[in-house]
Amino acid sequence: MKRSLVTRQPAFFALILLVISLAINLILQPNMFAGETLNSNMRVFLPIILLTVGQAIVILGGGIDISVGGTVSIVNAVLATRVGLQGSTEEMWKFVLLSLLIGLIAGSINGFFIAFLRLQPIITTYATSFLYVGLALFILPNPGGGIPGTLAGLYRNSMPLRFPLAFYVIAVILLIWWYASSTRIGKFLYAVGGKADAAYETGVPVTWVQFGTYVASGLMAALAGVAITMLSGSGNAEIGVSMTLTSITAVVVGGNALSGGVGGVVGPVFGAITLGIIQNIISFANINTWWETFVKATIIVAALAAPGVVNLFRRRKL
Amino acid sequence: MKKRFSISPPVAALLLAVILFVLSGLLPNGFGSDLGVARAQATNIVRLAVFLGVIAAGQTLVIISGSEGIDLSAGSVVTLTAILTYVLVNGANEKVFLGLLAALAVGMVIGFLNGVGITVLKISPFVMTLGMSGVVSGAIIVITHGNVTGKVAPIMTRLIARPISPSIPIPNAIILWILFGILIWLLLERISFGRQLFAIGVNRVTARLSGVDVTGTNLLTYSLAGALAGFGGFLLVGNTGVVHLQLGQPFLFPSIAAVAVGGTLLSGGKGSYWGTMAGAIVLTLITSLLTTMQMPDSVRRMVLGATLLVLISIYGRQRSLRQ
Amino acid sequence: MPESLSARNIVKHYGGVVALSDGNLDVRAHEVVALVGANGSGKSTMSKVINGVVVLDGGQLLLDDAPIQLSSPQAAKKLGISTVFQELSLIPQMTVSENIWLTREPLNRYGTVDRKAVQARTEELLGLFEGTFKTNLAYDSPVASLPPDEKQIIEILKAISFDPWMIILDEATASLDSRQVQRLFELVQSWKEQGKSIVFVSHRMEEIFRIADRFSVLRNGRTVGDGNIKDIDEKQLVKLMIEKESVLGFLRGEARTEEKIDKEATLEVENLSNDGLKGVSFKVHRGELLGIGGLRGQGQRHLLHSLFGDIPYLGTVKLSGKELHFKHPRDAMRNGFALVPGDRAKEGLLYIRSILDNLLIPSWKRYGFPLKIRKARMDATKTGENLNLKMAGLDEPVSSLSGGNAQKVVIGKWLSREPQVLLLDDPTKGVDVGTKAEFYALLNRLSEAGKTIIFYSSDDEELIGLCDRVLVMYDGMIRTELSGDSLTEQNLIAASLGIAEQGGAV
Repeated sequence: MKRSLVTRQPAFFALILLVISLAINLILQPNMFAGETLNSNMRVFLPIILLTVGQAIVILGGGIDISVGGTVSIVNAVLATRVGLQGSTEEMWKFVLLSLLIGLIAGSINGFFIAFLRLQPIITTYATSFLYVGLALFILPNPGGGIPGTLAGLYRNSMPLRFPLAFYVIAVILLIWWYASSTRIGKFLYAVGGKADAAYETGVPVTWVQFGTYVASGLMAALAGVAITMLSGSGNAEIGVSMTLTSITAVVVGGNALSGGVGGVVGPVFGAITLGIIQNIISFANINTWWETFVKATIIVAALAAPGVVNLFRRRKL
Repeated sequence: MKKRFSISPPVAALLLAVILFVLSGLLPNGFGSDLGVARAQATNIVRLAVFLGVIAAGQTLVIISGSEGIDLSAGSVVTLTAILTYVLVNGANEKVFLGLLAALAVGMVIGFLNGVGITVLKISPFVMTLGMSGVVSGAIIVITHGNVTGKVAPIMTRLIARPISPSIPIPNAIILWILFGILIWLLLERISFGRQLFAIGVNRVTARLSGVDVTGTNLLTYSLAGALAGFGGFLLVGNTGVVHLQLGQPFLFPSIAAVAVGGTLLSGGKGSYWGTMAGAIVLTLITSLLTTMQMPDSVRRMVLGATLLVLISIYGRQRSLRQ
Repeated sequence: MPESLSARNIVKHYGGVVALSDGNLDVRAHEVVALVGANGSGKSTMSKVINGVVVLDGGQLLLDDAPIQLSSPQAAKKLGISTVFQELSLIPQMTVSENIWLTREPLNRYGTVDRKAVQARTEELLGLFEGTFKTNLAYDSPVASLPPDEKQIIEILKAISFDPWMIILDEATASLDSRQVQRLFELVQSWKEQGKSIVFVSHRMEEIFRIADRFSVLRNGRTVGDGNIKDIDEKQLVKLMIEKESVLGFLRGEARTEEKIDKEATLEVENLSNDGLKGVSFKVHRGELLGIGGLRGQGQRHLLHSLFGDIPYLGTVKLSGKELHFKHPRDAMRNGFALVPGDRAKEGLLYIRSILDNLLIPSWKRYGFPLKIRKARMDATKTGENLNLKMAGLDEPVSSLSGGNAQKVVIGKWLSREPQVLLLDDPTKGVDVGTKAEFYALLNRLSEAGKTIIFYSSDDEELIGLCDRVLVMYDGMIRTELSGDSLTEQNLIAASLGIAEQGGAV
């Protein structure tokens, strides 16, 4: 049975979207690919990309993680308060390690409730999102604090071999994914996301796989938290809240099925970059400030609706 | 296989509410052994719960409809319709009915749009309503430019915020809620729409093959949920008399928790509004307790998050892989 | 390779229910043993005990006379016990080869999956069933795109892919057509010769007598008989199973006289076409019990669902001369049609709802506004009585009912509406022998009362015993019409395979 390229490789569609949006952006901003501009874009995109990778893994496994924004907020709050503007570099790295641990714990809590207690992912991670944002607010009730300027600068300006730092990070992540997804354990992920009880019958350790996806997501969220703190240089407990929906949208745009078992990580990364580019395009399009929130929200809904619309046409054609 | 609790969930929720209430009385600021104060406080809690309860009605419907039904746009719809009522009524009693209609209509339209995205475009309810919430919030900014001028009509305050009469200290709001509750019960249990709603919540294929119009029922559910959120906005502004951009948002999470406490299955197909009402009372009690203990908003959020987690751990366990 | 596995005096409870009180089974190398029993006999529990899915509460498992414990399906697999499931254990989004080799993929030296080896080994396995596939099944076909019979074959291949010693076929032939069953049985023969042992759990008498060497009968949780197949016949076997008058007597030789059938055609179908049908035309008469036969997946389900308005189609359907074209099951319902679907858990029942809800779901509009619940309960009770439904109460969830009773609820929800046309998709699948008899009686009663019945069955005996006419479908079309003298098992099978009645290929 012949399937079109788009069906067999969901990431292909995301690639097309990326190219189109890059083209539009290029028209509005001709120097887009110049070193500095490219870097300034990529460093803004990186936190979302990191978050999206974790979200993609969870969604592939048949779940979803709505608490990622909360984890980002906690990490940001911790770094901003514990390290502070006057902090030292060693303290920073110490707390970065702590942040990763926080991410692991946050993910493990989700994983425990969902994989071991068998609760529904949406409502569970919705509950933990509230819990985590609450914790972040508790640590940092009002925007403030920060990290040393030098470290923020390190993140913002690093361009080893004239390529943005973000490129290297993404490359490493994709390499790890490329290897992991070709192993038996990689297949486990798709099996669990495809049909968990069938996977169980076949001897796949479903519970551990599901647990693992949430731990991975928590870890990536923590990394995203570190990245965004280094980007902004300061603390704001609400910073993660809007990132959650964006990460989910990026995964959808990237061609992964929200039900699981279909797609990969490459597509969502393309999706995240595309969404970032679209943000750029909106800024350049000079929309009235009052309309900005509305327009951005509508674009997200449109992006989420797109696979549905495409499917609708496909069904009608049959 | 773990056995479910033998008490029906709404009753369990009410018992929990009573226990919490009694405990609250033992706190330093509590009513202690003063029955009069206790009754007044209890009445106040229930009165406060009315608004959460009404807003949670739509949530109850969509959760019963199954397929991970949820309405995350309820918070922003409440805010929007409250603002709309505020502006349209502008203090005039004659315009109240218009305000109510507008609130219901706008809520219904937004709910309908949610429904279209969910049934026609097959977008998951969570994602669709979350996205719509952003759109509605954006729309609010566009419409209001940050400021709102308007006023509530006296009749609204009279009917919603005040007691029946000076000698009968039962707030009107509670009576309204009871009537509302009966209406929702009729909707769920005594008309065919309700039966069809439960059917699609359990198994959409069977429902369709038994003659149920799944798409239509689903669309109607989300539209009704939107309208009910609109009604919630109308009532809310009638109670507080003021509006602001974050009016509805604090009710969103508790509305879902209330449904869960009340024993409605989050997977759909089983539940009742009475349970949600009990759940709304429990949640209002928790919030009020935290306020009395002077806990900051961050603690409130953590407690609510943890409460929902505990609840679904008890009620929400899905079939285990090994039978 | 082991020589034998024995289960002795197995006891298993599920909560308060005793599924097995004295289960015994001897499985030996070079042999096929048929595990037989009515629904509720403990048969499926028994097979779950020997493949490690459930833990036994009492009794012993012996491998070559040494006691063993099977703590999980994985433990059983390690001992070489493999099961072909009824409830498919395939991941629809993954390909055939990914499914077969899941958790056991051949690896290359980097620790990643060796794709070439996977392809080669999968194609080798697929070759075992060569010639019996209807689609272009390849190693990389997504399982979701396969019809049920091919999915079942993949299940079988998956079960044998690690060269097990013992293979449990649990109702594995239910989805297969005759050609595939034939090939499977050839494979079973070769497995026997290799020294493997096979446990054949089935309802299907004809297959049991074809393939089994020994039998073991369970009734009400106890093993009530075992022995060699050669020493017993169908009637005796069924008697051991149900202790009741053989239901087969009901099926054989029930010649239905021509006078009972109205000459007037109720339903006329012309040129029905869609994805699964290629121009189906036929007429049905009032009071007729029309059977649809043929290999599974030849369009029978499409036909029934199209007539019910569930699937769109091109063509004409006329009811008593009036042209109808249903766009939704609701329309069909309103015109007096009823459909009993093929998969009751997924299509026929609302599992967690009450029996009352399930019986009334199509009919609530008849009870006014607000709903007259008391009248509804009375009507539901009456329906239950008419069907001899064994239930604890109308408010119990339908999940508490046994298979046969649950199927009664599926039919019951339509009966109170007094439908004129009844469409049934393999209604006695997974139903115990006693309830089957009640269904046959019901169908006969209904057709005598003048209802039009169109009824697909994968059981040839059923079609012969029950129907006046049988339309055999093949590849989305009606291939042959058999009735009266021509309605024989031989002709049915021949027509199912696409061979003309007079012999020779079409």
